[in-house]
Amino acid sequence: MSPNPTPRVAGPVVTDRARAPRSPRGSARRAGRPDGVDAVRIALWLVVAAVVLLPLGAIVWLAASDNHLPLLLGGDIAEAGLNSLVSSVSSAIGAVVVGTALALLLDRTDLRGRRVLRLFALTPLLVPPFVGAIAWIGIAGPTGSANALWTQWFGAPLWNIYGADGVIFLLTVHSYPVAYIIVSAALRRIPSDLEQAARISGASAIRAVLTITVPLLRPAILSAFTLVAVGNLADFGIPSIIGLPERYVTLSTLIYRYIQSGTVESPLEVIATIGVVLLVVAAAAMVIDMLVSRSRWELDASASSAQILPLGVARLPLTLVAWAGVLAITLLPLSALLTQSLLPAPGVPLAWENLTLDNIVRATTAPATVTGAVNSVVLSVLAGIICAVIGLAIGTLVTRTAARSNTALRTVAMLPQAIPGLVIAVGWLIIAPRIGLFNTPWLILCAYVMAFVAIVVQSVSAPLRSTPMTAEEAARISGASRLRALFDISWRMALPAAISGGTLVVLTAVRELTISVLLLAPGAQTLGVSIFSLQQAGAYNAASALSLIITLVGLAGLGLAARRAR
Amino acid sequence: MNRKHYVATAATFVALGLVLTGCTAAEPAPAEDTATTVTQLDAATITVYTSEPQEKIDAIVAAYNEEQPNVTVEVFRAGTGDLTARIEAERTSGDVQADVLLAADSATFEAYASDDLLLAYTPADVESLNQDVVDPEGFYTGTRIIPTVIAYNTTAIDTPPSSWHDLTDSEYAGKITMPNPDVSGAAAYNAAVWMNTDDLGEAWLEDLAANKPVIADSNGPVSQAVAAGTQPVGIVVDYLVRELKAAGSPIDVAYPTEGVPYVSQPVGIFASTDAQEASESFVDFLVSEAGQTLAVEQSYLPVRSDVGTPDGAPSMDDITILSPDLDLIADTKTAAVARFNELFQ
Repeated sequence: MSPNPTPRVAGPVVTDRARAPRSPRGSARRAGRPDGVDAVRIALWLVVAAVVLLPLGAIVWLAASDNHLPLLLGGDIAEAGLNSLVSSVSSAIGAVVVGTALALLLDRTDLRGRRVLRLFALTPLLVPPFVGAIAWIGIAGPTGSANALWTQWFGAPLWNIYGADGVIFLLTVHSYPVAYIIVSAALRRIPSDLEQAARISGASAIRAVLTITVPLLRPAILSAFTLVAVGNLADFGIPSIIGLPERYVTLSTLIYRYIQSGTVESPLEVIATIGVVLLVVAAAAMVIDMLVSRSRWELDASASSAQILPLGVARLPLTLVAWAGVLAITLLPLSALLTQSLLPAPGVPLAWENLTLDNIVRATTAPATVTGAVNSVVLSVLAGIICAVIGLAIGTLVTRTAARSNTALRTVAMLPQAIPGLVIAVGWLIIAPRIGLFNTPWLILCAYVMAFVAIVVQSVSAPLRSTPMTAEEAARISGASRLRALFDISWRMALPAAISGGTLVVLTAVRELTISVLLLAPGAQTLGVSIFSLQQAGAYNAASALSLIITLVGLAGLGLAARRAR
Repeated sequence: MNRKHYVATAATFVALGLVLTGCTAAEPAPAEDTATTVTQLDAATITVYTSEPQEKIDAIVAAYNEEQPNVTVEVFRAGTGDLTARIEAERTSGDVQADVLLAADSATFEAYASDDLLLAYTPADVESLNQDVVDPEGFYTGTRIIPTVIAYNTTAIDTPPSSWHDLTDSEYAGKITMPNPDVSGAAAYNAAVWMNTDDLGEAWLEDLAANKPVIADSNGPVSQAVAAGTQPVGIVVDYLVRELKAAGSPIDVAYPTEGVPYVSQPVGIFASTDAQEASESFVDFLVSEAGQTLAVEQSYLPVRSDVGTPDGAPSMDDITILSPDLDLIADTKTAAVARFNELFQ
């Protein structure tokens, strides 16, 4: 039935199917008669049209209402565009390298304390980037604690975080957990039989991993790379706090310049134009992603469970290096947050008699925080569930069926990742009165789904890209309809990835700031907005306390999830 | 992961969703006020867009509701840039949804007034106000004097700078931080005022730039950096410094002798309001004696002279205020910001 020459052998088989048609349909496809899968595809297009295309359309319409490109070209847009591209691509490379290394070390080796280390490694996901950036300035700013110590010892500061290198570093720190989660989900699907075969043939353990497992992870690494690179294009908090002091402007900070300084006529049209520029950049990234992923490896499922790789003599040094690295980038800002939470105000020396719990009390008992927490949890959990379902459907459909519209569907789902929350929010604000959602929490929910569905789509396609169609084909041979095969086989295979993707959405949405701030109804709050409001009110230490609490609660949740998953 | 686990996880998500949705649905409606005192307006609801910090605006609304218990005030709080984005987006698709705007500087209000978005209204008791903050055409009225001053870390700095010219001394090289005029509307306004002040002007900005100040995001991070000693000297709005000092930070404020530029956080009523009377009473309250007493308690310099000044602030007579021609500032602001950006690369 299958048009491709996959040998039917027990155990893992690697097939390069670059040139073979990837369709599972074979001769079984009835020409031209729509079936359940087509219905699902149409339904998904309708959902995507409502949640993504409609607001994107509003942005494009705004941008098109007048030609603002000359103004932008006269300004800093070329420089900002280049900075955006360089910072997002290099931070994505960094994130993918760190995420993949961590996935291999934590999920495949006998590194000491890897379960605890995994939790630490995920913390940057839970700290809002603008809070993380301020914490890092306290450490590596010109007179931050690390630089002060270094100056004391060696007479010159170690490293000034302001500027391009700091932006790239912090973007990497805040996005490697996403890469780790995606790569680690795909790693779970790679059987260790192949590595064992290599070992039996005389390869060393390291060589087996580097030549067998890592190449097999390529589709997942690519998915993670695209997601992170496109997502980092849109980040505002880090470049604005770390980049602007050194005049390092990116497209997303340029947007704030035009909206905030009141120096241009019709600022909305100008920022919509920048949004469209970002969309074009993201679409180009998607095309590259598609071209690169055209040649692919696929793996047959294996019955044997993954083997832990003994590190041998390298165990101790690798353990030390991994722990030191992860703790340095997670514990340092966390301890900065903790000190700030326990001190009454910035600049008060750290001493026993100065410690206070007032900030924690203030942060947790303010009525705005409580309603903000409830709203954030409800909205982000709902967004997580909706994104998991839609993302699972889109991710499986575009990787497990063949249709010309697949690339378009995936690209449309990915595009919103590239535009800053401000532009997404403006798009929704413009259509909100016409769809009757103005000043309702559902507007924020829709915007969250739009902004974050790509996370699940990429998480789901990562493992599926390297899984052959044999199981679906078997189901079809046994008489299942295309839809049934998609539901029973593809969806189930992708479910773990969809759940981890959905969890990522929840964790990202629960501390989201820009979208929420613009779309909230008067009097409503979310957690990200509460932190920002405390910060704006000058209650920096209470803001740190609230961030710390969110991080700790999130970690506890992740820890619990990890325990149950075992 | 086994299948039982996904089912369990999915079930947990659904259950969590249901429980939490239940929570929001069960939130109590705003309590009805029953107190009856002065001449009260009938029940009305107004929406206020503001950049005032949440705790402060909550206190203002609570105090206003003691006078006008029947008026429900709904607050949308965001930074100035976010407010601009929201107002512009609402204009694109229809009317501005707010009744009252309490934010930013007079330039923002001038722009809205010239687009016919604002209602002319002169608040009650306008004679008692500092006339510099009252729009002659009556489209907006300033509610606080928010000057930009010099803040310094008392641990790191022994003899504080007392004038803008002091900051150009090479002893402050690398020690100064100030907000970014691209991000902060007040900072953009300040750049224009400095450029147009005779004994400062472009020459002073050039000298300041030679000291390589760190251009931080907005006023918040600047005051934080000064308090923490990251950069021990900052150019920042005064009330943040007083609040940090009250909270225990080693920080203090100097009002430069050449004079301080200030923004007035004006209040105005949108022409599209459907609760004009209630909106007017809210504006009246903000500049009334009671409203201004509250402003002083909230560390702001007031716009009337009968309510004193905050603890730790000099009296209004001792502060030199730079009140330039607003039209001149509006005309030169873009150029001033561009020059600033060139100088402070």
